[in-house]
Amino acid sequence: MRSLVLVFLPFLALYLQSTLFRAISIYGVVPDLLLILVIFYAVFSGSNKGAVYGAACGLWEDLYLGRVIGVNAICKGLTGFILGRMQGRVFKDNVLVGVLGVLAGTAINSLLLLSISFLAVPGFSLDRAVWADVMLQGIYNVIISVPLYIWYFRSSGAGVLQEGLIR
Amino acid sequence: MLLTALILLLVVKLGSSDSQGLATAERWVRNSYAPLQRGVDWVQQGLVQFGIRVLGMQDLSQLLEAEQARNQQLSLENMQLRETQAEVERLRALLDYKNAHNSQFRLEAARIIARAPNNWYKTMTVDKGADYGLTVNMPVITPEGLVGKIVDVSSNTAQVLLITDREMAVGAILQPTRENRGIVEGIGDGRLRMVNIPYYSQVQDGDPVVTSGLSQTYPPGLRIGTIRDVQKEANGLVLSAFVEPVVDFDRLEEVLIIKSFQAPSEPVNEGG
Repeated sequence: MRSLVLVFLPFLALYLQSTLFRAISIYGVVPDLLLILVIFYAVFSGSNKGAVYGAACGLWEDLYLGRVIGVNAICKGLTGFILGRMQGRVFKDNVLVGVLGVLAGTAINSLLLLSISFLAVPGFSLDRAVWADVMLQGIYNVIISVPLYIWYFRSSGAGVLQEGLIR
Repeated sequence: MLLTALILLLVVKLGSSDSQGLATAERWVRNSYAPLQRGVDWVQQGLVQFGIRVLGMQDLSQLLEAEQARNQQLSLENMQLRETQAEVERLRALLDYKNAHNSQFRLEAARIIARAPNNWYKTMTVDKGADYGLTVNMPVITPEGLVGKIVDVSSNTAQVLLITDREMAVGAILQPTRENRGIVEGIGDGRLRMVNIPYYSQVQDGDPVVTSGLSQTYPPGLRIGTIRDVQKEANGLVLSAFVEPVVDFDRLEEVLIIKSFQAPSEPVNEGG
């Protein structure tokens, strides 16, 4: 069941990002639900699993976008790996873990994405609009992360994301 | 004992039928009860009146609820009708445009079903694809102007790269001066930038920018936007300017895809 949910969630996240959240975007910026999912998974499951799940989710996004395959896979994989270091070092029952994790994860993922774009895309400039987008997305991600973290935490303890649960 | 006997005697005495004193006593007793009884009655009447009012209010509140539900229903219907009316107007505009440019373009109307799920790419997905003869690089427009081009096609969807995307560049011409060396690029934040404008250009704020048609991908004369804030580049040889798009990308719901076009003798779509 847990595996099925973990496969279904990225699908759902991408769907919501491209439809519902586009309708309620703030200055054209939408939250990165997929990234939030990767961060939560990494925080709960550790670096190695976080990296694999992050890369898989990123690859899924790359395939959906149909642009440069691998960019999001690398960025989300690395973000999952780094955020996975939190596993075993923080009290996960505190919602601040989720909030700070998402804030840090958004910063890491954005920096990686911008670095790759800066190096690989000719004429790409890191202007004020880019940083404004990054900051706005960070704020949006943090706001969304609060209810999502509570759900994720509860589901991991005694819900659909509980390890070893057979339903 | 004596006192009791006196009282009893008094009572018997006063209790005789023709005694005026009894009536007085009775009246006094009754009168003494009267305020309490009136009080009880007042309370009873009050309760009855309260009950009536409550029942009445129930009726009224039921009526109010029914009216509110009806009001909500009518508001909903009104909203749906407005939506339908807006859709009809948009589709009529698309149809008018299609009919007006039938000789120049072979157009396919499509509905936008999704937008880019992240903030780095400016793309949208339309509900028609290879099954409708759509292929990569077909220009996408609205009656207002250029939207972008198709970059990916599946059997029943197509992905449109908007002109506001950082990877997008369109050959453009300044309509008043006819200078056609400019390139309009997306800068990612919803605005466009026109670069490579000759330093001697008479370009000024408010000048319309249209496609030059030099790239073979886009037909000439499609409106792109309006010049805003002309600046001289550091090398002093060329100018650049921000371009405000004519298309409101946040409100797009339907688009037209140019499946094929003939180069017109006169620029098309001037003035929308």
